[in-house]
Amino acid sequence: MSESTRRMIGKWARGIAIALVVLVFFGPILWIMATAFKEPRDVYALKVFFTPTLQNIYASFDTPFFVGERTWNSIVVTMGTLVLSLPIATAAAYAFSRFRFPGGSVWSLGVLATQFIPPVIVIIPLFVAFRHANLLDTKLALVIANMSFVVPYAIWMIKGFIDSIPLDMEEAAQIDGASRLRAIWDVVVPMALPGIATAAIFCFVVSWNEFFYALVLSRQDATTLQVGLMSARTERGDAWEIMAAMGLIIILPMLVLSRFVQKYFAKGLISGSVR
Amino acid sequence: MAADRLLKYWLIAPAFLVIAATLLYPLVAALWYSVHDWNIAQQATLGPFVGLENYTRVFADDPDFWHSIRVTLVFTAFSVVLTLVLAMALALLLTGGDPMRVYVRTLLVIPFAMSPALLGISWRFLLNPEFGAFSAVIGFVFPWLKGVPLLADPTLAMIALIASDVWHWTPYFMLMFIGALAALPQETVEAAQVDGAGKLRVFYEIMLPQLRPVLAIAVLLKAIFSLKVLDQVVTLTAGGPGTATETLAHFVFQTAFRWYDLGYAAAVAYLLAAVMAVLAGIYSRYVMERHP
Repeated sequence: MSESTRRMIGKWARGIAIALVVLVFFGPILWIMATAFKEPRDVYALKVFFTPTLQNIYASFDTPFFVGERTWNSIVVTMGTLVLSLPIATAAAYAFSRFRFPGGSVWSLGVLATQFIPPVIVIIPLFVAFRHANLLDTKLALVIANMSFVVPYAIWMIKGFIDSIPLDMEEAAQIDGASRLRAIWDVVVPMALPGIATAAIFCFVVSWNEFFYALVLSRQDATTLQVGLMSARTERGDAWEIMAAMGLIIILPMLVLSRFVQKYFAKGLISGSVR
Repeated sequence: MAADRLLKYWLIAPAFLVIAATLLYPLVAALWYSVHDWNIAQQATLGPFVGLENYTRVFADDPDFWHSIRVTLVFTAFSVVLTLVLAMALALLLTGGDPMRVYVRTLLVIPFAMSPALLGISWRFLLNPEFGAFSAVIGFVFPWLKGVPLLADPTLAMIALIASDVWHWTPYFMLMFIGALAALPQETVEAAQVDGAGKLRVFYEIMLPQLRPVLAIAVLLKAIFSLKVLDQVVTLTAGGPGTATETLAHFVFQTAFRWYDLGYAAAVAYLLAAVMAVLAGIYSRYVMERHP
């Protein structure tokens, strides 16, 4: 075999391999998204080509699936988690980056270590506490539960960015008469914005996708989209076309964000471990 | 300067409050529950103190616990190995800066950004014996599995659970490995190629040894993620058929929120946490070494 034919074969093999990879990893998602637009009989006939319909989407917004309410709950819980967590995490990240605490790096490492606490252990006392406070099945309970994993992670991520901002600029601002808090707000926060944005994307993805805490803490009023998925399994059998419609709404923001997710989210999860 | 010294505590105070309320308090409370006999369906307040009885029951007298340990270990072993091998293969295939590969990488992020709950329920749909797309393909490749309800078979359900997890995590570790491959010094690879070494040999003898630290971290991280696997167990198999895919986290979930045996569930959860703590300790030592 000549060198050029060998190279040709190699190129083709690579192309086929890449196509196969796309099929395996993206095909199922395309299939679910297509199912959302299929008539039920097309779903059960495994049709590849079909006339699209919006009937499932409409049906999913109706009784007993309430996708409208559940989407709203998901949005409120996710945004609530973001709005509360980011300022809190930014302040703590700044403090960990700029000041020394008694005990040294134990504190910031401790923040990272919280990520390894299994959710099943945290949820038991949280469930008891929320039950006691009459907060079961409220969006507030879900926001608080989400903050348990979002805040430590956001601290760790934002700290990495603040570490790389030179001290001189905020010192200069302070010499000009600004207070330290003023300097943080005017100088550090704008410069840390890419890091805060990275953390925001991470928080968005994990809060939006959070399932287990919402499953335990909500019944009806605060049910999010993720838990709502379970309602597609009715007594009359599984309504897969409804499940697909819900899945579509769950995936949509990820499709919009995928470019950023690739850039930031993956980096975020391993920040501090691999660089 | 005195104001500064207070400022730092003010800055961490809100975060500390959140962590104390949502993590430290639950950890302490769960430990407290674990030495009590408390079924919340029977009484609203903490039951009688029983000392280490819950823990002795776990070890001495609960075959379900040991079964779920075995299930978790099998799941973890297979999902770690398969995910990382596949992720490395994909990283080698998709590394590089040409627009096509960058685009494919972006597409591949979506299985990873998909929620585990949706992933589980989607796979349940795709594996439906009558109208699941996966079942159709499987039935075509392995005719004897045509129309067989795969999730009703203990072994096949486990394979499905592992496969769904590998599918979910491979893109993430692929991105991690692509980052690591890009950071390898090109000279050594090129020198070996000039010496006439084949691609496989270059990979095994030049690249792999340099990737060892990254691989070690990947194994630890994936093991931690696998040990606490839960969401897709709930939505894909619900631990079944029977208890064939009952992982430890799912066992705790069932004990706490199906049987409402909070004291016992807390004890089992603490054993899971202990395993995680050991792994987390090893992990942070790695991180510390690289970021002193």
